[in-house]
Amino acid sequence: MSHYSPIAETCKHLILIIGALIVFLPFYVMVSYSLKSPKEIETNTGGFWGAQAPMVNQYCVKLGNPVDQCTTTPIVFNYTSAFNKAPLLRYLLNGVIVTLSIFIIQVIISMPAAYALSKLRWRGREAVFNLILFSLLIPVHAIALPLYLMLSKAGLVNTYAALVIPWTISVFGIFLMRQFFKTVPDDLIDAARLDGMSEFSIVWRVMLPTAVPALIAFAIFSVVAHWNDYFWPRIVITGNQNLFTPPLGLREFRGGADGSDWGPMMATATVIVIPLIVAFLIAQKKFIGGITLTGMK
Amino acid sequence: MRKILSAITIAVCASTPVHAVDIEVGYPYSHLFNVTFEKMMKDFSQQHPDINVKFRAVYEGYEEGTNIILREAISGNLPDITMQGLNRQAILVEKGIARSLEPFIAKEANFTKEGYHQAMLELGSFNNEVYGLPFSISLPVGYYNMDMMKKAGIEKLPENWSEVIAACQKLRANGVKNPVFWGWNITGNWFMQSLLWTQDTPIIKDGKFNIDNQEGLIALNTMKDIFRGCEMKNLAWKEALSSFAAGEVAMMYWSTSALGSVERAKGDFEMKTHEFPGINGKPKGLPAGGNAALLVSSSNDPERLQAAWTFLKFITSGVGAAAVAETTGYMPPNKAANEIILRDFYTQNPNKETAVRQLPLLREWMAYPGDKGLAVTQVIYDGMERIVVDEQNDMKALQKELIEEVGELLPQ
Repeated sequence: MSHYSPIAETCKHLILIIGALIVFLPFYVMVSYSLKSPKEIETNTGGFWGAQAPMVNQYCVKLGNPVDQCTTTPIVFNYTSAFNKAPLLRYLLNGVIVTLSIFIIQVIISMPAAYALSKLRWRGREAVFNLILFSLLIPVHAIALPLYLMLSKAGLVNTYAALVIPWTISVFGIFLMRQFFKTVPDDLIDAARLDGMSEFSIVWRVMLPTAVPALIAFAIFSVVAHWNDYFWPRIVITGNQNLFTPPLGLREFRGGADGSDWGPMMATATVIVIPLIVAFLIAQKKFIGGITLTGMK
Repeated sequence: MRKILSAITIAVCASTPVHAVDIEVGYPYSHLFNVTFEKMMKDFSQQHPDINVKFRAVYEGYEEGTNIILREAISGNLPDITMQGLNRQAILVEKGIARSLEPFIAKEANFTKEGYHQAMLELGSFNNEVYGLPFSISLPVGYYNMDMMKKAGIEKLPENWSEVIAACQKLRANGVKNPVFWGWNITGNWFMQSLLWTQDTPIIKDGKFNIDNQEGLIALNTMKDIFRGCEMKNLAWKEALSSFAAGEVAMMYWSTSALGSVERAKGDFEMKTHEFPGINGKPKGLPAGGNAALLVSSSNDPERLQAAWTFLKFITSGVGAAAVAETTGYMPPNKAANEIILRDFYTQNPNKETAVRQLPLLREWMAYPGDKGLAVTQVIYDGMERIVVDEQNDMKALQKELIEEVGELLPQ
């Protein structure tokens, strides 16, 4: 143990504070922009909150409504645009449906697979495990095109299935569960077998309850990754806008060279990250435990 | 019993008065065009209750729009109509995805009367057949911060580039650090093509890179003179638009399409738009930006195709076309819409009229032929960047270099 030195501690904290500020800054800008009027955003005035002076919603005027009916405050304009122009509630619901379906199917597939790979003896087990490790190395972008073609031949493009199916077999999940199962003593399984349990009920009634910490860690990775995924939904959802996941809602306000609507866009971004932040605050201890458990820091 | 039921079902279906046809439409940039279509569709569904228009997920931009159509052509779920960037039409025509509109035009009796004129149709014509109907058009214009101009004692807005440079010097003398932004970095070498078209010179002629002439050298020299004479800062266009809105840049040369967002975001100063300056006199031509509507339907149902054509015509003429000007910074290239329906609108919105006054100058925004079109764009972009950052001062050498490099990338 090193002895306590105030200077070293101050240095440590300084570095940590700077790091925290760097991480925090984009969030600060995001929330601040979601509160301000377009003018305040472009001219960089108004501080964090903006003046909240009444502003005219130009889109509303263009549709032929009188100006006094279209006057609103920036915060109201940004958040109502986020929920009306991009039907954000619908997107959030899609996000929940897709991430939960993916996670549940991933568990259904990876639990028995991990059990077979760690606790059962059969020929070719190591070879199969090596193949699984190898699959970890393939980035999804490399196989996106064939995946898209297969889904389109099956007529599944523009459906929930297209968003869920490619992710249902999680190699990482299988690997993670296998490593965890290896630490479960064989005696426990032998005892279950003596009591006459089938292999499947061992998986679901003995292994599953012991694996809860690992499952939580895996859930965090899976849900965060698929909630925030922009790439894949953008590829397979081209027809029906009602199937958009939350990140796709952001592009509603992009205008390329003609200027984007930053206010509503940042309001959308704020709404999208809130569920994750709330989930994090609730499960903070488990979250950190989960990440340290998997050794991915 | 079952027989009776099915007989009733058939009878009910057959006797439904309006037999609705579904068509699907894709377009880019939701925050610009959602409001346009919202406005148009009110009138459209009243006039054509028998046509059901379903909008697809909006493309994020022109490049993504083209990508999606190419992808959907493979997976076999193309929409009926798609809006594509003017310089992205060619690839869809070459690949046989876009369908010729000639059979439909042939059936129209009053086509020219409805405001479709030759210059407009040429923007969407390939091999002498019309494939695309331009939907929303932009042209380069000048944006001016009148408060800053007046402070520097400039009463008359510049008509040519030497006047712009003179204005720059006056502005600098009055303490303006950043007098001008000239949008050289806009997509597709649009401003390089502008300088050439102002001298009535296309950047591609007979499949060859056409700057091997006096006009090419003048274009490069003009750029150099503007950048040096104004000591222009090399801003990314996003920063430039923000700086102009914040009242830091006095003169901005950019597409008229940004007018809507500049007006929304600008500080408390008087802004005016004015015609794009020429080399000596007025410009002789300007490249058109924007997008055109293409028929990409894979359907063979004549009723559905006719419905798609009805929609195409609606959005490019009459009140449909007028909605483009009313809701965006773009303008409809339709003569009748601009001159009759929108006359009062332009009197009330003089900033939007600038581009309309330039409509007779409408020329093609040229796509570079061959598979390496994007690489050609990048080579020219890099060349212009070297002038901006003060790396290249010998325009003759640059001209020679560009001709060689681009020549290698174009199909022989």
